[in-house]
This record gives sequence, structure tokens and C-alpha cells, in this order.
Amino acid sequence: MGMQIGRRRFLQVAAGSAAAMGLPRGTWAQSPVRIGFTLSATGPYAVGAGITQRPNYDLWVEQVNAKGGLAVAGQGRRPIQLVEHDDRSEIETAVRLYEKLVTDDKVDLVLPPWGTAMNFAVGPVASKHGYPLIAPTAASLKLAELNLPYFYGMLAQPDAMMGALAGFLKDVKRAQRLNKVAVIHVSDLFGLEQQGALMPLLKEAGFEIVEAKAYPLGVKDLTDVLKGIKAKGAEIFVGLTYPPDTILATTQAKAVDFNPTVFYTSVGTAFPFFRDRFKESAEGVLGMGAWNPKVPYAGAKAYFDAHVAKHKKEPDRWASAFAYAALQILEETVGKIGLDRPKIKAHLDATQFSTVVGPVRFTKGWNQATPGMVGQWQKGEFEVIWPPERATAKAVVPKPAWG
Amino acid sequence: MNLALLLDVAAGGLLLGGLYALIAVGLNLQYGLMRVLNVAHGEFLMIGGYVTYLLHVHAGVDPLVSLAASGPVVFAAGVGVHTALYRRLLRQERTREELEANSLLISFGLLFILQNGALLLWSADLRGYQYLDRPLRVLGTVFPANRVVAFAMAAIVTALLLLFLRRTLAGAAIRALMQDPVGARLMGINVARVHALCFGLGVGLAAVSGSLLSMLFELTPFVGLPYTITALVVIILGGLGSVGGSLVGGLILGVVESLGVHFTAPDLRMVISYAVLALVLVLRPYGLFNPAAHRPGQSVQA
Repeated sequence: MGMQIGRRRFLQVAAGSAAAMGLPRGTWAQSPVRIGFTLSATGPYAVGAGITQRPNYDLWVEQVNAKGGLAVAGQGRRPIQLVEHDDRSEIETAVRLYEKLVTDDKVDLVLPPWGTAMNFAVGPVASKHGYPLIAPTAASLKLAELNLPYFYGMLAQPDAMMGALAGFLKDVKRAQRLNKVAVIHVSDLFGLEQQGALMPLLKEAGFEIVEAKAYPLGVKDLTDVLKGIKAKGAEIFVGLTYPPDTILATTQAKAVDFNPTVFYTSVGTAFPFFRDRFKESAEGVLGMGAWNPKVPYAGAKAYFDAHVAKHKKEPDRWASAFAYAALQILEETVGKIGLDRPKIKAHLDATQFSTVVGPVRFTKGWNQATPGMVGQWQKGEFEVIWPPERATAKAVVPKPAWG
Repeated sequence: MNLALLLDVAAGGLLLGGLYALIAVGLNLQYGLMRVLNVAHGEFLMIGGYVTYLLHVHAGVDPLVSLAASGPVVFAAGVGVHTALYRRLLRQERTREELEANSLLISFGLLFILQNGALLLWSADLRGYQYLDRPLRVLGTVFPANRVVAFAMAAIVTALLLLFLRRTLAGAAIRALMQDPVGARLMGINVARVHALCFGLGVGLAAVSGSLLSMLFELTPFVGLPYTITALVVIILGGLGSVGGSLVGGLILGVVESLGVHFTAPDLRMVISYAVLALVLVLRPYGLFNPAAHRPGQSVQA
């Protein structure tokens, strides 16, 4: 028994389905471009990875494959095949998996994992094997000091990012006569470096630092710390925080009625989740980095809309766009150069790219074209409020009472 | 030294300690009675949290009302899990060591299955909602209103549990098994049934704690394990098998952690709780309130 399908009939059906799926003829003949990466699907980094990187990888692959594949110089379009693993937020696991991706899976290209500490660990692996890695979620001067030839960082680094914050705070200090600052930071490479960059700038600007405390990754409670800070009369609160603690610090500041004139938190502030979670209470909260669909760069609005259409959720208002921009850069480079990795590196080093985050140019592997920025939730949008030449709105200071 | 601030911080710790106590009592019911160390305890807490979150966000159910759903649902699931996974084990294993080791394996498996199941269902996104996150002014100081409410609910649930243990026949059976398993068996207590009841109660209490915690903190599929560890510290502190000990232990740990963090840094919270644990283990190896500790020469049997 069983149905017999003739060969001719099979070919007709196969060709028909290929056409029906909108794939150009000949796609089947091309072997896929294999792109490997790890992202934290589990563990403390999973939140950030699942918001900032994962949706952009998926969106990009879908868009590129819908065009018939990734244009590779000299080879036409080839479909993208992702080779992916969960690093479980374990740095040693990620290192092992990247070794496996390049030596065992023999992927053509790699994409970065999420987070500063992760990139710090896998950057050397990628460089050792000559795989370019363009990281949208790494901020570390120590990483820059390693001078990894194949590592590229998209974000403004701690000195620039904290320089922007200090610049903004100085401006506020002048206008509003504020002086007392409290700083808390997550004791992870990210928090340590940002804190290290910020403290000298604050001292130099003559601020009085009433509190400076570290807290661990995955902290469960900050009420005691916030109560202490409130008791010391801090007018400016700076949290060098990761997503879960950004939410925690904000929730608990509100709950202990700590409403300083300036309230700044870091990674996660720019997530739409933050706005949806806090509603009116988000108003006036400042955050690290900023991007929104109003920025005047080609493709920015289209990217925002495509992200919403595919994932039914908005991209975050900072590093998401940088993650997408990194993929734009990779796509453009492979289209011009092909998959020869040393030549890709030469092109990355020598080219100014136009992306959804504006111009990007790497100097010694770090994007110098994007300054450090400060954002602020205002009426449901995360506005760029510093530096003035990039601003999409004026800062609201003092912060309104918690809604 | 600002005394008012210190009292304030200590009271804040007490509020959190109340929740620690509730979580730990649940774990103690399982471990104290059956020597089944359920490391997936926190996962049931996580599920309770998600039940409350989903009911609140999608159906507009008040988080406090949702306790009436999360507790019983997870209790029933716990009885089911016990019947399916533990019953045979408890019947077969001859020595306590064998039982502890194998029950540990089962609960580790359970931990991974529940955590990854939650990940598949709900993804790793942070989930949370605003509930009474207003400041509440009490005696000239400020507490988060939701924390006070959560503490009050934890206290009520604990009181109900104590009433159940003291005043009902099933409660008496549980206490009898804790005090003298052999004697209880000789008196005709159906051990398998009491074990299933205790396991269900334990995870049901975890789910209730999870519902309460979801009012204060964000949820991810990974929130459970740290609470399991805290609960372990508490039950060792208070004494295995001692419900009262877990209550006091939870409150003590909450206050010590808060004060410790206030004087040092939040970075040291875990160090502080382990230091307290080590100190108690050195001074009173059977915990602060373990009745067996007062009877030298008699081993702690369960």
C-alpha cells in the first residue's frame, strides 16, 4: 500500500512550493552560510539576551532569507543557517561553545553573546581563530586594552558613557544647585568599570558622594540600601545596574518613597518592559544610552516597525538598534568582500558604515562615531536628552513624583 | 549612629524574614518528616508566582485572591508528584542515606524540568506588575505597602498551618510521625498518605510564598533556586523538623541580613547568611530549636 509519487510529480510539487514560499529559483543549489553564536537562554543574562539580541538575530535572518539569502561577493545569495547554543549565562560554557563553533562546527561567521563579561571572555577566542565579532552589548575599557584584532565594539565605552552622564549632571548641578550623589553598582565587570569611570568625573566636578555601594548580580533586595541613601539626603541617584536590578531599584525606590531630583539607572531602563511595568512612574527616569525611532537615520523607523511586526513587541531603546546595526554592517561587508575573514577585518577597519544608529566607524576596533548618551522616559518614549547635538527632547528635571 | 534608621532597617528585614519563614516551613515539612530534600522547592514557588502574575495581568484577579488558586493547585500537583515519583522510593529504600541520595536525584530532575518548562511557556522575560507599591507610613517611618501586606498574609497562612497541625487529626498524625516514626506506624497511621499530604502542603506553601513574592519582585523562570538555598539555611538554623524553629529562624535571618547589608554592602548578603549558619552549627549543631538536641544519646531519627 502507500501512495506512489512519481519523480516528475515530486519535482513539480517541490518547485511549486519553492515558488509559493517566495524563494527565487536556484536557492536550493546554494549551500547555506552557517553563522554560529551562543546566547543566554537561561540564567541571569537571559533577560537581556532575550530582549536585546535574540529578536534582532531572528529578524535579520528572516529579512535576509526572504531576499533569497545573504549576498556573498562572487557567490550570489546563500541562505543563512544559524548554529546556536545556550551558554546558560556561564562564561566558561560560552568560551567552550565558541571553541566548538569554530573548530568543530566550522561555521563561516560568528555573532556575539550578550553582555560585557561574556564578550570579554569569548572575544579572545574569536580573535585567536580569526573570526570577526561585532559586539553590540559590550562596554569595557579592559576589553579595549586587550587590543583584540578581530573584536569590534558598537557601544560607547565606559569613559564616554560616564562622560556623557557627568556632562549632563554638571549641567543640572549648575541649573538646579544639586550636590549630593549616591552611586550603586553591580559587581560584575560592567558595573565595576562604569563605576571606575564615573567616580573620578564626579569628584572632579565637585559633587559630594554620600554613598557608593556594590551589590551582587542577581540581588534580591535593595530596600535597605535605598533607605540608607534616602536618609543621607541624596539628590542624585545613579544605579549602574543590569536589567533585573534596574527594575528592582526602581520598584523599591518608589516603595520607600525615595524620589530624588535625578534618578538614573542603566541597562534595562531603555526596555519597553520598563515603561509598561511602571507606567506613569517611569516618567522622568533617566537611563544609560538611548535610541528611538525618531532618530534621523536611514532605516531606523523601518527597523522599529519590522521588529514590532515580527515579535509583537518593541525593540529596546538602546542596544537593540546597535545589535541590528552590527548585523547591517556584517551583511554589507560580506556583500562586498565575501567570507574571507581577514579581508572582512580589513574592510571593517577601513570603512564608515551607515546604519540605523547613524554612522559607525571603528578605530582600533571600537566605534568612535557614536557618543555616550543619556536617555529619559517622557510620555511613553525614551528620548535622547544628552549630548545636546543628539537630543530628541529636552531633559525633564526635577523628576516628577512617582506616579 | 542613627537609631531610627537602624530600627527601620531591622523592621524591613523582619518583613522579608516573614516570607523566608513561610518558604522554609514548607521545605521543613518535607525534609523534617521524610528526609526528602526537595531542591525543586523554589521551582514550586516560581510556579505560584506565575499563577498569580497570569491571573492578575490577564484576568484582573487581585494577587491576594489568587492565593486561593495558586496554593491549592500546587498542593494538588505536589500530591500528584509525590504519588508518581516518591511513593515507590519511600517504600523501597532501606537506609536513610539511600533515601536522601535518591530523593535528591529526583528533585534535581524535577528542578530542571520545571525550570525549562517555565522557560518554554513563558520565556526568560522579566514579569512583574504594580501592586500596592506605595509607601506606607507607620510610626514615622516608611515601608513598602506591598511588603507589609505580604508579611501579614504570610503570618495568617502560618497561623492557619499551626492551627491545622495542632487541632486536626491529620495534623496530629504529622506531628506524631515527626516525633517518632516507628511508634506512629504502630499506632496505625497511614504513613504513605501522610507523606503525600506533607509533600503537597510543603510545595503548596512554597506556591503561596511565590504568589506573595510576585507582588514584590520580578519573576523569571530562575527565581526559585536562591529561595531554596535561603530556606535550607533557615531550616538548619531553626532545626530539622521544628516548625516553630523555621519561623524564628526565618525572622532572624531576615533581620541579620538586613542589618548586615546595611553596615557592609549588599554584595555580602550571602556571606552574612552563611556566617550565621556556620555560627549556629558550631554552637548548636542540631539547630536552635531541635527537640532532639536536648536528648543526648538519642540520634535524630525521622
